[in-house]
Amino acid sequence: MTTDRRSLILVAVLAAAAASAYDAPRSLPTSFAAEGGRIVTTVDLAAAFPSDLRKLLSSGLTNVIALHVALLPEGGGEPAAIFGREIDVLYDVWEERWTATVKDPAAPQGRTLTFERWEELRAFLREARGIDLGPVAELGDGRWVAQTRLELNPVSKELLQRTREFIANPAAAGRGGPPSRSVLGAMASYLLRGADSGSDVHVYRSAPFTAREVRPR
Amino acid sequence: MPSTALALALALTAAAVGRAAPGSDPAAAPDARTASRRYVVERIRFDGLTRTRPSEIRRHLSIAEGELLDDQAVLLSRLRLLQLGWFSRVETHVERGSARGLVTLVFEFTERNTLIVTDLVIGSTGPQPAYGGLGLSQGNFLGLGLALGGAFVYGAPHRFAVRGSFFDPDLALGGLPLVFGVSGIALRGEEFACGEPECNAYRGNYGGAPRLRYDRLGGEVTFGIRPGPFERLLAGYRLERVGAELLAGSAGQPASLTPYTAPALVRTGRSWVSALTGTYDRDTRNDLFFPTQGTRLALNIVFGSEALGGDYEYSRYLLQLESDHELPHGHGLRLFGAAGAAQGDAPFFDRFYAADFAYFSIGPALGRALELNFSTDSRYDAYLALLGAEYGVPLWARGSFFHRGYVAIGGRWLYTAAQPRAGRTPASRSPFSGELALRLDTPVGSFNLSLGYTLDIFL
Repeated sequence: MTTDRRSLILVAVLAAAAASAYDAPRSLPTSFAAEGGRIVTTVDLAAAFPSDLRKLLSSGLTNVIALHVALLPEGGGEPAAIFGREIDVLYDVWEERWTATVKDPAAPQGRTLTFERWEELRAFLREARGIDLGPVAELGDGRWVAQTRLELNPVSKELLQRTREFIANPAAAGRGGPPSRSVLGAMASYLLRGADSGSDVHVYRSAPFTAREVRPR
Repeated sequence: MPSTALALALALTAAAVGRAAPGSDPAAAPDARTASRRYVVERIRFDGLTRTRPSEIRRHLSIAEGELLDDQAVLLSRLRLLQLGWFSRVETHVERGSARGLVTLVFEFTERNTLIVTDLVIGSTGPQPAYGGLGLSQGNFLGLGLALGGAFVYGAPHRFAVRGSFFDPDLALGGLPLVFGVSGIALRGEEFACGEPECNAYRGNYGGAPRLRYDRLGGEVTFGIRPGPFERLLAGYRLERVGAELLAGSAGQPASLTPYTAPALVRTGRSWVSALTGTYDRDTRNDLFFPTQGTRLALNIVFGSEALGGDYEYSRYLLQLESDHELPHGHGLRLFGAAGAAQGDAPFFDRFYAADFAYFSIGPALGRALELNFSTDSRYDAYLALLGAEYGVPLWARGSFFHRGYVAIGGRWLYTAAQPRAGRTPASRSPFSGELALRLDTPVGSFNLSLGYTLDIFL
């Protein structure tokens, strides 16, 4: 094998390793119970929320917490069940209290909860209860994982598109063409960047489990 | 798979939310987003601004004092401000106003460095053992959102180029979305005049080879409109004074006027380029550093004419296309192409230098720096066609100084009418070039550590 070929393989391996590290989901305490023949899951989300959560949720503007939990075969494949919940949290600066509107399959029209104290709201948010992942019988003999995706203040691509403005500094060469080349190759004078909307996305995976570990509550 | 799961989950949530809106009883399930609307914005306050003027911020807000507090309008304003590129962070919150029912809307800013490196040139070629240059751009000049840029390249003793540009991307005039720009260039360069990129006259004594010595001084004024959020339509006028002199070699070799080479494509003595320019630019890419969605189309046309007082009667067309795609695991695929043609009596610097568009060129040609050619290859072409693809693998995001990084692996096919003359060997006749690069996004600009460019120096 030539040195060039070995170098290329090394670069490819490094790139693949870096890419997989980039994507690796973390774990989150997750418990499973059987209620009425269905898998009811509880996820401890404490680690998923930022440390300045109180400041964020006390902004006086609506904050959206989107939670999605999918039941997946451990080895990968199509999900056997999916659960979605959205919580809109609003702090009233004059009333000095939080209102949480929770929408999920159990309450698609939303149920409203009011919290006078921050500790109460935090306790409510950190433990996601009552997540229905379908009949226990669906588990069969396989091994499964629950994948949780938590997104704080998601911003749709459509909204980002609506707000984009074409205000970048144009290429300095008026006649168009490629930028100058150099050893370090500064690429171009780009000011317009993809805006970091501030939305936080976290993806977690539970430890693998089987039907035998889903005990009746 | 996870992506399918997420899509289904999002659809499910959307359905749940969709069911909630029209049929819900406001008393039983009040929408949290409407609850804030009963407050009136008494005042809007900006915290954290040190360079940017508040008046520039207000132009981009979708909410004003005296209006009802609207969460969506606040979010839209925040996103628009982030898109300007002047801030690394924009946060919003409300505070109590002077009386019940009134609130103060607060925008908190963290300003980002807007002085970035646009060109960093260090190079060495046979005829120019050392040359270098630097380009800087201030994207928020005077805190008014104006762009001011400058760059230079120097190779002692006969080659230098200086370029400056000013651009107002959002000119407030009559309520129209206008843009205005001015740029200038002063350049003194040399192009070898031996006919072939490698000839005996260059062996060991580049200083004694026949050459074209020239200078350019001029500028361009551009005025345009933004027809849509992703579009820019520009018209301009360009005027340049050109001085050119043919120098014979030290052994008496005359300067060659071989077709396609620079000495044959410019008037000797003093001449003028006077041209009208037009540009249409449509850019929907989601990111300029590592785009994974969107397209870019740029069409640039130049009409030079004696009727405008110039000495060159010509037209030049350049179309550039790019399409970006997101692949699994966050990888990206960039497809691009370009087509160009110069008709009539176009000066060499308004034609196409093939090495500018290739990742590398086998032979003496080397991509130019600020339009200065440091190689012995002085062939400029009237036609250009380019097709290429680049595969990007993101390595990290949210780093401290090196915000983001990715590896790019690319290939290009390039056609120029001058190509047959470049083929001294079967390898140098190849229209293909490749790239393996590490690209870095930093607060002071984007950098491209390119194996293609390194190859270009040594091949």
